[in-house]
Amino acid sequence: MANRRCFQTLARCLRSIRTLTPISECLAPYTAPALSQTLPNYIFLNKFKVYQVPARSFCSRHSESEDDDYESGEEEDYGENEEDIADLSAEEKVKEATEIGYTVLGPLQKSDRVFKLYEPVFAVVQIGSHQFKVSNGDTIYTERLKHCDINDKLVLNKVLMLGSQAQTIIGRPVLPEAAVHAVVEEHALDAKVIIFKKKRRKNYRRTKGHRQELTKLRITDIQGIEKPENTMPLPPQTKEKEKAEKKVAMEA
Amino acid sequence: MSLRGVWQLKKLVVSFCDWGGSSRGIRAFMESELPAFIEKNPQLEVVTELNRGYHPLLKGFYKNKNERVVCVKNMTQEDVLQCASRLRNSQGRKVLKLKTRHVTKHPSVQGTWSTDLKIAN
Repeated sequence: MANRRCFQTLARCLRSIRTLTPISECLAPYTAPALSQTLPNYIFLNKFKVYQVPARSFCSRHSESEDDDYESGEEEDYGENEEDIADLSAEEKVKEATEIGYTVLGPLQKSDRVFKLYEPVFAVVQIGSHQFKVSNGDTIYTERLKHCDINDKLVLNKVLMLGSQAQTIIGRPVLPEAAVHAVVEEHALDAKVIIFKKKRRKNYRRTKGHRQELTKLRITDIQGIEKPENTMPLPPQTKEKEKAEKKVAMEA
Repeated sequence: MSLRGVWQLKKLVVSFCDWGGSSRGIRAFMESELPAFIEKNPQLEVVTELNRGYHPLLKGFYKNKNERVVCVKNMTQEDVLQCASRLRNSQGRKVLKLKTRHVTKHPSVQGTWSTDLKIAN
């Protein structure tokens, strides 16, 4: 809003200046490059047009000046509208995905041993607009992620904080070298929510059902922080030891 | 869907009717899109069943012994494909309202906070 106000006052000033003396006469003694150096911020903004005859030398893009264009200069750049066509190219898919906060690595192979034991390390991860405090082996339900299939490995890029039992690393706002690996488990619909609207005594009643599309991710690995070494005895070894001890006892 | 890498949907039964008009979509689906669907999912057992006089159905059998039956009467082939994909993408569990979006067995790494906790500097 402040931008619009500045533009409007500037426009009004310029219009008033226009009625008095054209800028070309005032600025006649000055050369274009000298002026652009002295008055960088006021007139030479993108999409803002100045009333004067040698318009091209000052304005970066536009050649003509009109009254209407003062107002069009207030508007921001038109962002590219989202493609309505469902077929985005692979690059655009990757770009969209990274904006939301994840990268698809590829499908899970049978030989991948991705599901490890619990490690006492956590990360705060952002997907879209939601943030989760995540650890190894956790499950997360997010909004439907479009460009990944079931059993796909993902890398979640937006990591805001990492922590372990001895260390905490806080990002400003994101940690660039941290990565959280996850596997897509499910694309499903949530339970139905009934949206019921009523205005009493006005004969107005509306019922609408809604099922949100969700994706379930299982977090497999957190990278970017030192993990403590595993000092717990592994269960299979203890069982084998017990069996061996029992055998010895039987024989004896 | 898959739980820790294991696919949950074991079998998909496509039951249709030869004669009925409500099966038009599923018949077209079986001709055009079902072969591609089967190729993309080699782990899935797809069976087509002729059930005359009944509306067309898609039955999904899951590893947790759950059966999900979806009636696809009067649907277009794209809709039938979407239904089949949904069955394949889901886990077979009962559709309940989510209590939390984050399910974990180890909620705390550095110790649960309490008012008595004193952090050494």
